[in-house]
Amino acid sequence: MSDLKDISAQLVELAGKAGAHSADALSIADTSDSIRVRHGRIESVEHEDSRGIGLRAFVEKQGTNGKELAFASASTSDVSASGLTRLVEQVMAMAQISEADPDAVPPLGAEHPDAIQLADWQKRHACTEPAWQIDAAKDAALACEAAALEHSSLISNSEGAESGFGRVRVAYASSDGFAASYEKTSAALSVSVIAGKDDGMQRDYDWDRQLTGIALRQPEDIGREAAERTLRRLGASGMSSGSMPVIFEPRVTTSIIGHLTSAANGRAVLQQRSFLGESVGQAIFPDFITITDDPDHPQGLGNRLFDGEGSRCKRLQLIEKGRLTAFLTDRYAAGRLKTIPGGHARRGLTGDIGIGCSNLILQPGKLTQEALLRDIGNGLLICELIGFGVNGVTGDYSRGASGFLVEDGKITRPVQEITIAGNLKDMFQHVRHVGSDLTWFGSMAVPSIAIDGLTVAGQG
Amino acid sequence: MTAAVTNERLRAMKSAVHPSPTISSNISIADSTLSDMLHAMTPAGADDADLYVQYSESESLALEEGRVKHVSSSTHQGIGARVIKGEASGHAYTDSLEPSALMDAARAARSIAAESGSRAPVAVHATEKRHALYLPQNPAAAAPMPERKALLERLDGFARKLDPRVKQVFANVSSSFSDIRIVRMDGAELHDVRPLVRLNISVVVEQDGRRETGSAGGGGRFGLERMLVGEEPERLAREAVRLALLNLDAIAAPAGPMPVVLGPGWPGILLHEAIGHGLEGDFNRKGTSAFAGRIGQQVAARGVTVVDDGTISERRGSLNVDDEGTPTERTVLIEDGILTGYLQDRQNARLMGMQPTGNGRRESYAHPVLPRMTNTFMLAGSDSPDDILASLKHGIYAVNFGGGQVDITSGKFVFTTSEAYLVENGKIKAPVKGATLIGDGPSVLTRVSMIGNDLELDPGVGTCGKDGQSVPVGVGLPTLRIDEMIIGGSEA
Repeated sequence: MSDLKDISAQLVELAGKAGAHSADALSIADTSDSIRVRHGRIESVEHEDSRGIGLRAFVEKQGTNGKELAFASASTSDVSASGLTRLVEQVMAMAQISEADPDAVPPLGAEHPDAIQLADWQKRHACTEPAWQIDAAKDAALACEAAALEHSSLISNSEGAESGFGRVRVAYASSDGFAASYEKTSAALSVSVIAGKDDGMQRDYDWDRQLTGIALRQPEDIGREAAERTLRRLGASGMSSGSMPVIFEPRVTTSIIGHLTSAANGRAVLQQRSFLGESVGQAIFPDFITITDDPDHPQGLGNRLFDGEGSRCKRLQLIEKGRLTAFLTDRYAAGRLKTIPGGHARRGLTGDIGIGCSNLILQPGKLTQEALLRDIGNGLLICELIGFGVNGVTGDYSRGASGFLVEDGKITRPVQEITIAGNLKDMFQHVRHVGSDLTWFGSMAVPSIAIDGLTVAGQG
Repeated sequence: MTAAVTNERLRAMKSAVHPSPTISSNISIADSTLSDMLHAMTPAGADDADLYVQYSESESLALEEGRVKHVSSSTHQGIGARVIKGEASGHAYTDSLEPSALMDAARAARSIAAESGSRAPVAVHATEKRHALYLPQNPAAAAPMPERKALLERLDGFARKLDPRVKQVFANVSSSFSDIRIVRMDGAELHDVRPLVRLNISVVVEQDGRRETGSAGGGGRFGLERMLVGEEPERLAREAVRLALLNLDAIAAPAGPMPVVLGPGWPGILLHEAIGHGLEGDFNRKGTSAFAGRIGQQVAARGVTVVDDGTISERRGSLNVDDEGTPTERTVLIEDGILTGYLQDRQNARLMGMQPTGNGRRESYAHPVLPRMTNTFMLAGSDSPDDILASLKHGIYAVNFGGGQVDITSGKFVFTTSEAYLVENGKIKAPVKGATLIGDGPSVLTRVSMIGNDLELDPGVGTCGKDGQSVPVGVGLPTLRIDEMIIGGSEA
């Protein structure tokens, strides 16, 4: 644990000696195991050990208005002394080529967590135990697939069940003397089965992902849910086109919330690539919508004490009674947008800093899914979306879908080979209800939502 | 299982700064160590086993707001060890080259087999490759970073001068190479160095408060210096600006079934989604594909021939050998409308009693091998593109696309237009906004009624995603008329 932190700090020091104005380093070490079973037999076993380190170094240059900063970044999996030396040489050479940016924010003076916060976090989130054991993971995968296959004689085939678990160690150090690290575990179990045959085949799946194997839903429940979902798709056919209300199940609501956070990304706003570019402070949803980014949730896989720049992560009510309260920012975007840094810097080993949330929670409403169906009367329940038809600049939206036709408040038959289309700005405004069925998906918790006035395209 | 292809720039790219002039052995692991690993990991009854030793470097420069302010590189190395017995496989991945870590990986890969005996030790011996489709080089070696930076600045100025409505220009040049040694169970070793370059430009335009975007890109397995000279960069900039401006005038696309004419080149992602994924060996061996058991059946109109060809010189989807050391091939998937073949890696081919086709691919040493496409395209027909467009009474002419995705089991697939037009009586009426087209893989090609004589391959921008793994691919298509597809516009 400490070695990664030390290596990061050492790298920052080396960059300083090589002439960097300032630098920060991120190290990640990953250990993971997974096992896949199919028709009751082991299909594959995987074990991975990896580690890597990324360095970002800033250099001073003469700009039009005096001294300005340019930066470059590089990563390597070679953490030997010679590997680190070479990494520093590479970054310094590239920083000379990189253009200075008058708004550049060096890794100095960020609002880091203090020693007390670090200790408290360590105490509450310490993961001394492995996330799971390989034998338990294997048994879970076998039990999960068996439950799915035995659920009905109509289940005709299996894509298998997979269980996996891992531990990741993340360390960060910057030129202002901050150095910290934390560990995270995760465990997952999934299964996918097929019903029907030939032209009529359908597959569906279910999964769970938690901090530890113990916290996962029962394997049998996941298996039965996958089987139920697959069976109810049998006999799916097309439907006619029209404008109608649509209910998104929690598993597809996640994608709608994803589009929201992409558009609320402060860097995308600066680049004029967001349809929400002028929307801070405005009501972009009806007033019953509240969405929170919570970096410290007992169930959240997205928990983090500090972000990719070492800034302390704080709870943010991104949407408060329908109003967009802030853009998501790292220190650079915050500086340009003249707001307080949000602690949303997301960083991998390679490349530039991005922006992302920790755990996003869409506050549930009071209506069950049955009540939502009754409420819309005639429309569509969407269970799966495919394709990439989302334009972040305009908000134009068009994706392939499958789900169920809703007639007189009830599900009548499965539908497929349809698309749904609209514009995200309108879709946000036309959310009609939020369901009560809050469901966690790793680092996002969402219920069903009903949206009015989407265009469905189908046969005829 | 769903699988997808996009033309976004490489996400999983690894990267380099110092040009490595000669690439003969970037990773120094003794043959004897590899031989010891193979011995330790391979039970006597194994069907197959291999080691995949990879060293990769990549570099990227990106321009934004007129400045090249994002410069990055990465250097990664590691080994994947794999053992196969029947339908089961064991995998271990490590980026530590310490002997103890390597032997731990060998033992972990072996864990699928209960037996204790091992195969006799083998000596690692180099083997010749059949193809030499690209130079074994660091593609950035002859294009110094300052020249790449100057290229991006030149493009920025050029794009902004094209039209005052251009508000933002983003340009990116990236290059990488992957140095791979594959050591098979019998000790045969194949060495391949794979260069890959990519240039991309996208713009945001604004008019009367409406903003739109357009992008264009190109690349392949050749030296980056070739992208710095000539008119190609300017052509890409012009294309990005043209698309963005076109979108300013786009009207809502219709919703519902219509005849569609696809333009040549990148619209070949139709084949990738509708046909290609469904013909990958793993899905067919397991019977989970909508195409399972259909060899010999008619799945397309007469005249439709679709191939997957990994042997085209310098193409983004080409490989000298796949990631199991099998030479790539030209595999005919559909011949004159009849389904003729699957895409195979070694394990699925063995289990199906077929031959491997050179389609076993992995994103990196840290991923398992899967049957994947290389360059997938339809052969040209005899119709003139003008006649095909003229045949369209009321429909959509789609020239450019974003990404696509397919549900392997139901066969339903989508792809989304980025340049498309409403056509009335054979004449283009108006550009339409991006819309998703949805269809059924096993039947969509039976509705092909005209095939153009103008086969084109895409400009070298495709990245295919399957099971969380990204690999570079190519597609191609002649102008094609499909009598009916569902257009997912917002105009009901």
